[in-house]
Amino acid sequence: MNALRSLLLAEARIFLRDRMSLIFTALFPLLFIVIFGSLMSDFGSSGGARLGVLLSPDADLEVLGTVLDSLGNIEWRTFEPLDALDTAIEKRQIDLGIQWSGARIEFIYNAHRTQENYAYEEIARAIVSRLELAAQGASSVLAVKHESVGSGSEADWFTLVVPGILSFSILSAGLFAIAGHLSSMKERRLLSRYLVTPMRPSALLFAIAVVRLAVVFSSTLLTLAVAMLMFRLHYDIDWFRYILFIIASTLGTMGLGTVIARVVRQASSASNLASAISLVMMFVSGIYFPIEIMPAFLQKLSLAMPLRHMADVMRYVTGVMDMPDRDYWIILGAFVGLAFALFPLLARYVVTAEKH
Amino acid sequence: MKDVLRLAGAQIRVTLRERVSLFWFLVFPLLLLTLLTLIFSGLGEDPRMTFDIALFQQSVPQAEAPDFAGIVEHVFTDASKPVGDRPPLFRLTIHAADAVSRYEEEMERLRLGRLDLVVVVPAGFNDAVLSHLGGSDEAAAPIEIYTSAGRASSTMAHDVVRQILAGVDREILAIAGRFNREAAVSITRREIGTGTEAFSYIDFLLPGIVLMGFFTAGLFSVPGTILFGREQGILKRYWVTPLSTSRFLLGFGIGHMALCGVQFSLAWLLAAVAFGARVSFFSLLPALYLVLAIVVFLAFGFLIASLAKTGNAGMAIANIVNMPMMFLGGLFFPISDLPLPLKILMMGNPLTYLADGLRTSLGVDVAVFPILATFGVPLAWILVSVAVAAHRLRLEEAT
Repeated sequence: MNALRSLLLAEARIFLRDRMSLIFTALFPLLFIVIFGSLMSDFGSSGGARLGVLLSPDADLEVLGTVLDSLGNIEWRTFEPLDALDTAIEKRQIDLGIQWSGARIEFIYNAHRTQENYAYEEIARAIVSRLELAAQGASSVLAVKHESVGSGSEADWFTLVVPGILSFSILSAGLFAIAGHLSSMKERRLLSRYLVTPMRPSALLFAIAVVRLAVVFSSTLLTLAVAMLMFRLHYDIDWFRYILFIIASTLGTMGLGTVIARVVRQASSASNLASAISLVMMFVSGIYFPIEIMPAFLQKLSLAMPLRHMADVMRYVTGVMDMPDRDYWIILGAFVGLAFALFPLLARYVVTAEKH
Repeated sequence: MKDVLRLAGAQIRVTLRERVSLFWFLVFPLLLLTLLTLIFSGLGEDPRMTFDIALFQQSVPQAEAPDFAGIVEHVFTDASKPVGDRPPLFRLTIHAADAVSRYEEEMERLRLGRLDLVVVVPAGFNDAVLSHLGGSDEAAAPIEIYTSAGRASSTMAHDVVRQILAGVDREILAIAGRFNREAAVSITRREIGTGTEAFSYIDFLLPGIVLMGFFTAGLFSVPGTILFGREQGILKRYWVTPLSTSRFLLGFGIGHMALCGVQFSLAWLLAAVAFGARVSFFSLLPALYLVLAIVVFLAFGFLIASLAKTGNAGMAIANIVNMPMMFLGGLFFPISDLPLPLKILMMGNPLTYLADGLRTSLGVDVAVFPILATFGVPLAWILVSVAVAAHRLRLEEAT
């Protein structure tokens, strides 16, 4: 027992000394939360848009003004002449320009804002549908009542991004535990030294897994806490499922790391391949952008990415997205299965250390 | 000069032989360019998915009374049909008034993300419309929409359904003689900054990817080569040759610039051939920004190499500064309205100025910073980086 404790302490010390692992598992999620929280909290939303209005001499501002006021979360002001409005749009002081003549409405966009214009087009459509009725003195017949069902009814996109970042941090921790840390130990022939001691290889694997689990658990909790405190996000965490998922996904991704370590023998190459794979997964797994905005083939490809399922489960256990409980157990089972299937391979990788 | 060029050639060959360097230098920028273009280029244009919508028709038509609920159903059915080769915007399932048992089932499917949206035309809808059109004080006729929390597909379906309901509104008002379609407001659209040619996302993205490629090359490749070379004793072998340090650095720099040139050419070719990028880098100002960017990040790489004692420490520093600098430089997403601490980082970031200057000189964006700043800040980074690197290296030599 003492030997195992020493091994655990040694592993923990090695992890804390390994700058790269520390950065990828502990620092990156925090950095991502702070940067993306500031950059992307309004992703896909037109809230707070600034509109500039230019009126023709015979146009009535009252009708248009009433419509714009009814839209809620936007700011608008009038401009004159047209050049002033164009300049304000060009300089991004105004998000969407409107030229209103009473019978004709022109929407003016800044062509360079390709990532944002689709949200302003949504505003333009809402203005037109209300203005068309208002211009003819008609009022809407329909009173549309909207309600969101499910546990994450108040969740905006960034609230969903945070669990995605946590999943990415688990993936990195699992992959780098083997494809970075263990393969580097093997390359430096440290594993061979372990193998000549009475210590069983499984004890070493156990120590690595326990340390990674502790790190992942603390890192995800710290990241969640920062997100909740800095950006006032709310998560309703199902702790039982959360802990189970962290254990299963960390072990499962360690299994994936084994595959990389077996394919690429050089430690630096394995580590680089792990970061390349995790970066590609990050882009196509709906972590930062909704999967639905991707082309159909990328949406299908994302189904093959473990990270996509990890992000979905993480959103489920943090209470921002619903999923059938059965799906949760299937995904959990898949990661446990992956760990069980690949850990023997990992054990062989450890004991064959001296051959390389 | 021959020895310098030979060293540059060796530097190119070593990089191209190493699979890892090759990946980060050449493959990764192209991969990122492809992925981001595929994800964002058609944003808001083509429907990228077919939504699943359920409509509950709980309003029963009455004899000799207008069937407004039927109009809702009709408009939704029409909108769910494919147009030409394009797939339908949504698949519609209509549940009749007597399908009460299906309601809970469909709401559960919506909650679990199996369905994107539920529309309910409640019982008494026809009477409510008639009453509202008759000028009574009663509120407008209610229609209920249910979406699934936390699902982008549901939010997108909601946007679509809002437009359809606006059409239903006009249809009913037109039938009631309250809305004249012929007198509808005429709508036009104009874009500022397009010039004569249509502007696309790839034209905005390409300069960002090119700068990112130069940045990561300088950040990882330069300190990696120097620090790992020092650890493995490769640099020592150079120092016993007649090659001076300055000539070594010149050769290294020329090799690095040539590799950046290869990287740029591949990215530009991919963007132009595969994604139809029209942006042209081949004039004086964009070329100046490109050269400036390579030199800034080369100097930045030397700075990191001088600050770190080992290769791993150098990579750790590079990894720490990589993402914040990249995302706070506006390479991929527009940055504005940042909180003060991040704004300070953004304003001190050479990428911010290079991206702004390059995009402005290419005509794909409007200048945020004066041209003097877009050259001055990166130049200041070169001076500071070189000065610090030289000082640190001299200190190391002295000890």
